[in-house]
Amino acid sequence: MNATSLLLTVAGTLGMAVFGLFAGLWFTGLDRVLAARMQARIGPPVRQPFIDLAKLLVKQNVVPANAIPWLFNGAPLLALASAITILLYIPMAALPGLPVLDLHGDLVLIMYLLLVPGLAMVAGGLSSGSPYATIGAQREMVTMIAYELPLASTVIAFAWKLAQTDVDHPFSLATLAATPLWTLVGPIGFMGLLLLLATMILVVPGELGRIPFDAPEAETEIAGGLLVEYSGRNFALFSLSLAVKTIVVTSLIVALFFPWNLTDFVAISCCPYLATAANAAFFLFKLFVVLFFSVTLVRISVARFRITQVVDVYWKVLGALSLIGLALVMVDAQIR
Amino acid sequence: MKTIEVKKPSGYATQIGPAHPALKEPVMFSLDIEGERIRKADFVPGMAHRGVEWMGMRRNCIQTMYLAERICGICGITHSISFSRAVEQIAQIQVPNRAHYIRSIVGELERIHSHLLWAGVAAHELGFDSAFYLAWRVRENVMDLLEYLTGNRVHYAIIQIGGVRRDIVPDQFPRIEESMKFFEGAYAKLAAVFLDDTTVQMRCRDCGVLTTDEARELCPVGPTARASGIKKDVRVDHPYAAYGDVEIEYQTPDLLTGEVRGDVYDRIVTRLLEVKQSIGIVRQLLAMLPDGPLLAIPKPAVLLAKLKGVAGEAVGRHEAPRGEVMHYVRLEAGKDEPAAWKVKASSYSNYMAWIPMMEGEQIADIPIIAASIDPCISCTDRVALVRPDVRQIVTKEELHRLSVEKTRRIQAGLAK
Amino acid sequence: MSFPMVPELLGSLFKKPNTNPFPAAQLPPTVTGLLEKVGKGEASLNPPVPVPEKLRGKMTYNRETCIGCKLCLKVCPAHAIDFIEGTKKIRIFVSQCIQCGQCTEICPKQCLALSGEFLNASHDRYADELVVD
Repeated sequence: MNATSLLLTVAGTLGMAVFGLFAGLWFTGLDRVLAARMQARIGPPVRQPFIDLAKLLVKQNVVPANAIPWLFNGAPLLALASAITILLYIPMAALPGLPVLDLHGDLVLIMYLLLVPGLAMVAGGLSSGSPYATIGAQREMVTMIAYELPLASTVIAFAWKLAQTDVDHPFSLATLAATPLWTLVGPIGFMGLLLLLATMILVVPGELGRIPFDAPEAETEIAGGLLVEYSGRNFALFSLSLAVKTIVVTSLIVALFFPWNLTDFVAISCCPYLATAANAAFFLFKLFVVLFFSVTLVRISVARFRITQVVDVYWKVLGALSLIGLALVMVDAQIR
Repeated sequence: MKTIEVKKPSGYATQIGPAHPALKEPVMFSLDIEGERIRKADFVPGMAHRGVEWMGMRRNCIQTMYLAERICGICGITHSISFSRAVEQIAQIQVPNRAHYIRSIVGELERIHSHLLWAGVAAHELGFDSAFYLAWRVRENVMDLLEYLTGNRVHYAIIQIGGVRRDIVPDQFPRIEESMKFFEGAYAKLAAVFLDDTTVQMRCRDCGVLTTDEARELCPVGPTARASGIKKDVRVDHPYAAYGDVEIEYQTPDLLTGEVRGDVYDRIVTRLLEVKQSIGIVRQLLAMLPDGPLLAIPKPAVLLAKLKGVAGEAVGRHEAPRGEVMHYVRLEAGKDEPAAWKVKASSYSNYMAWIPMMEGEQIADIPIIAASIDPCISCTDRVALVRPDVRQIVTKEELHRLSVEKTRRIQAGLAK
Repeated sequence: MSFPMVPELLGSLFKKPNTNPFPAAQLPPTVTGLLEKVGKGEASLNPPVPVPEKLRGKMTYNRETCIGCKLCLKVCPAHAIDFIEGTKKIRIFVSQCIQCGQCTEICPKQCLALSGEFLNASHDRYADELVVD
């Protein structure tokens, strides 16, 4: 690796971090406004998450007396850093130089990395020495195990299908972005993919700890659970990592299911910059649509599950759904 | 050789409250938990004792009326009806018929308001905030109606000893009917959201069960009792105000679902049915509203003079949205203020039902179970043991001994 | 599986919110500045929510007709009325008044009444506008 590419990678990393933080907070604000409008409220301004962040940063950072300080303070940093790291692997729009670490990672790596922010929260919760946080940390671990089955089945379905088509790197995200799977399957496989899409849409609230899968934080039950002892800077870092994770998870769905660019449909030939900008805007639009249907609408239209029900839903209902989807994709390949 | 004793995992103890987002008022649950499951539950009330009775016994009856109204922020008219019924019995004041009707109308509107408020709180405890906003949006209409009729949204100040202070005139009927139509539409919407929603069913069905037998032992009141299949309602059992004139039935969940399970879901069903019932009662009462005066003794000064001259004791009861409320009042001749005033709020009877409801359920169910009896904690708290360093349990015998001593002290004071 | 809330939610996305707005959507840098702008017609305030005509609001007191009989003091549940010995008149503390209107009924000269004014918040509970005399 020569100096120029190293410099480019560093610059790209910084750029992606800034993009992730800004877009994440902005989408969080949008989510809040839309939720408020659907509940017939006016709601906060879209920039409210930025205001909240600024407020949290000037607040006192309290470390409880019976917490383990290095772990308690380290966990938020780890959560944010790992969330930004995933962002470097995910293909976004057809922008030059994206993803930053294109050649180094694949789907399996992303699946592992997706666990890290959650684990950091668990570590932070367990180290904070509060019974509510301990209950929350236990619930978070259970939730992570629960949504892993439908998530893994979906990823396997994609990789398996791509492996069938003799591409070089079936697990690579660049391959995924270049080959929309919908075009490779017949009607049965199409139905299978629809099932997988539905599964992934419902994995997102679990990943992000939103209602109905927010048992680890459950405000009315365990008073914020994992995050109950966090305040000030540490809490700001956790909310930033959640914002970045929102972008990560939604762009993962976009990359898996909707990898098209605007230039695939409309020829914008007059100017290459305009085409790039249009693609970027189209990408943000896709993120917004996924976010609306998987987070905003879901979180306000149902009640919270008990932790046992979270496991039931993820393993029995969504697990079955994703396995059926996987089976349909396989059957489709056999028929054709 | 040393033997190593292998202990069974013993679970852990935790507590919820007195200050906790799930609880709108201070009460403490101490729980013995294994994993997420509650093995044993107990609660500690007595953290919001306000000394209302003490204050009431230092004010004359008219002043105490308004104090009684402020025992509860939600069922304001409940306590003022109960108190005034007690005083009216002592002074043998005959309340005019029209006043009886107006009391019942406002009482039923308050029931609609209270049950809608409860529905919102319950939805919030379940994490279902959209239903909370929906229920409270509907409630806003009944608050506006009450403001239109009585001049205030919360403390209506419409009850006076011997009648009511404000009339409902025919000009106001269309506005009331408009609201009743709105509630009918809203009832359909709320019933769909609360009863048909899959996630609400998952959370509330067979959760926090109070069986009919347990209910019979613990004697809860109001919707808590009726949801367990106990047919008990002061409005039907001992009709007062205008309730004797209207058709009124016990609202048990089997009217809608065909069975009584006594779980949280049944308590939602019962309250929703009561909203519908109240709409019907208001309509019946408006249609039959008799003519006549509003007050037995229109001049407050005359009323005060009369109350100063009477002596005796009486109990006033009212079916509050949460169940039966009881006020015991004793008046003495020559004294403006009540010699004794004892309030039994409905939640007092419902508290004990928490324990069988909670045991065996999960931590996640505590908020909704606690909310399901619609507790009104500061209305209920009557005693506070102020001895912070000693955790003391007062046994029944001890309490009895203390009461006898107190009564003797009072009687000795009276004899002087 | 049934989620009856979803159509309701999607429907309200395109309706006007139910919230009663504040006079100004955001806290302005200076209130007097905003009011000046409103006076010039550059900005507008959201109108207040209409109140029913029989609302029980701030007390009004007719000092001239008052005979100092002290009956209102006898029934006021909140002890919000003070009797001034020197002038034989009363003073009502709005911050303590519960607006039940019992005094208006017992007053033999009808010099007390409830108005529809309900914006009675202040930083100082003994501010001039919160003491009626």
